[in-house]
Amino acid sequence: MTQSITPKNIVVYADDDPDDLELVQDAFAQYSNNVEVVSFIDGISALSWLQSLSPFDPKPCLVILDVNMPVLNGKEVLIRIRQLENFESLPVVLFTTSSQPQDKSFAAQYGAGFVTKPLDIKQMEIITDQFINHCAEEIRNKIRRQVQ
Amino acid sequence: MNLFDFQLLPYHEKIDTLYEQGVYLGKRKMDDLTVLLYQLDGYYIEIFYKKHRCYVTKVNVFSSTSLLDPYLDQIAVEPFVYTK
Repeated sequence: MTQSITPKNIVVYADDDPDDLELVQDAFAQYSNNVEVVSFIDGISALSWLQSLSPFDPKPCLVILDVNMPVLNGKEVLIRIRQLENFESLPVVLFTTSSQPQDKSFAAQYGAGFVTKPLDIKQMEIITDQFINHCAEEIRNKIRRQVQ
Repeated sequence: MNLFDFQLLPYHEKIDTLYEQGVYLGKRKMDDLTVLLYQLDGYYIEIFYKKHRCYVTKVNVFSSTSLLDPYLDQIAVEPFVYTK
């Protein structure tokens, strides 16, 4: 008998704050059978990783970008992602401490979601759900089935 | 909302108000705590965490700028420096 192993859905997360990187890793831990979080400490590394994917590699189901990062900030990464072939509709979320309307408009302009970083555990639970909502329907159903 | 009204809010309303209207200014470490600084309507709020952005141990509200010293090294001043 052969057993097929379904590859995990990849969530890419770029943030220069190690505490926030750990926070998001922990938030997705409950979905660890289905989701792998690939983290980067700056935007340019995340972008390089995405650019290195071949057409045969599975695309990430979601890219989460901190806005304020050195070298290449989250907004610049988002613009460049949208310029990449086959990434025009990749789900992307800007994850930031800001709740400024102009940042929300920017995200919407480039077809991305906008999520403000949480201030307590209750908000973090809601936000994890919001992240998953940005994935394609088939993927989010699969992810959620695991914890039911 | 002024400082006194904010102080009177129940915990969850303080957190929700900050989430919706607060402006993040900085972060510092103090022993095993992480402290985040926000500004709201001319006063400042520090949130002390046992676990970053999850478990709050204390919320400190103040208006004195002298308490901002631990955060000053993080604030970029270049955009405010006048150059000819």
